[in-house]
Amino acid sequence: MTAPAIARPPADALALPWRVRAAMLVRMLGIQGAWNYETMMGNGVAFALEPALRLLPGGKGGDRYRRAMARHSGYFNAHPYLAALAVGALARAELDGVPEAQIDRFRVAAPGPLGSVGDRLVWAGWVPFCSAVALLAFGLGATPWGVVLLFLAAYNVLHIGLRVWGLHAGWTHGLRMAQALANPVLREGPAHVARATAFVAGIALPVAAQGIIGPGRAVLGGVLAAVSAGAVLVTVLHGRIEGWRLATLVLAAFVLYTMVR
Amino acid sequence: MTLELFRIDDRLIHGQVVVGWGQPCALGFLVLVDDEVAGSEWEQELYRMGVPPEMDVYFDSVAGAARRLEGYRADRRTGMLLTGDIGTMRRLVAAAPGIRAVMVGGIHHKPGREARLRYVFLTADEEDQLRALAADGVAVTAQDVPQAAALPLEELLRGDGTG
Repeated sequence: MTAPAIARPPADALALPWRVRAAMLVRMLGIQGAWNYETMMGNGVAFALEPALRLLPGGKGGDRYRRAMARHSGYFNAHPYLAALAVGALARAELDGVPEAQIDRFRVAAPGPLGSVGDRLVWAGWVPFCSAVALLAFGLGATPWGVVLLFLAAYNVLHIGLRVWGLHAGWTHGLRMAQALANPVLREGPAHVARATAFVAGIALPVAAQGIIGPGRAVLGGVLAAVSAGAVLVTVLHGRIEGWRLATLVLAAFVLYTMVR
Repeated sequence: MTLELFRIDDRLIHGQVVVGWGQPCALGFLVLVDDEVAGSEWEQELYRMGVPPEMDVYFDSVAGAARRLEGYRADRRTGMLLTGDIGTMRRLVAAAPGIRAVMVGGIHHKPGREARLRYVFLTADEEDQLRALAADGVAVTAQDVPQAAALPLEELLRGDGTG
């Protein structure tokens, strides 16, 4: 059984007006606003696509517009930032008049890889990296507001960047979106970010501990030993316990310690 | 190590598989068994982009996977085999004896399906197919990520979508 290949999007295709792109980008910030276990972010995808679908023959409320809105409101579960790639690709496919069966097949195939790439790059890579950078800033004496703002700024560089790039790349490649996913930042980036996180965290943890305790106190050695033991424990437990459970256990142990000392 | 995990998940390759299972289990390869994907180059290219460069992904039809299963088992790396629906896994179990455990990792909402867990929605026919798998001697459980407990089939089928 051989599925039909995906044609390259026509070079002379309709350009997506900047106002439509801007509306889609703003709407994508709320792509999980109607998240639920049945359609996941399907409603959000349709909401983000809607400004482009108004350009279909018949305009808003036309037959093609209605069919497309119904199609894109269905189940869709991808990474919320990289979903921008799918939104751009689907807008291109709809406006190029790609057969509905092919669009449906793409909607089934695309979410998994987008989720996988996004989880590796953002949740398992960029969030720990930004946290380590913020911790280092705290250890070096930044104010609490400075730490929070640094974290948010660093985090949103990638977050907003992915959404803007995703919409553009999705529109450019259409359903041949795999070419966009081959971008080295997405393929090789998570490994580099993981190494950078380990490096920054290795500096940040003792610096932050010293920042909290103050220099020259005897307890510093004990705290650093406890942090090292905790790091070993986290490594051993990796994948066997959920993060929130581990955090609750550590918090409970700390509360117990403060009560008995 | 070998091909250890057989998973039914309608999203096939996605974050839970690559990150959730891939990192703690040190997965070295995935086998995606789907007759349509096995014949679709663009879908294979898309799924291939979803796995990290150090992980291999093989695409196979049910018949091809049944023929090559021993070869996958002989691989020294840890692997996971994925199908997108229960029917495909049943056909594979029938064609390739020796599959003793199957996990339901995610079957999502469609008209006609009832919620059993947050990540498992089933029609009456799909429930019967899972029972048939169990009757064939396969241990059927539901488990989305390794940190979660594996729920036995009876518990899965008693669920009301809140678990």
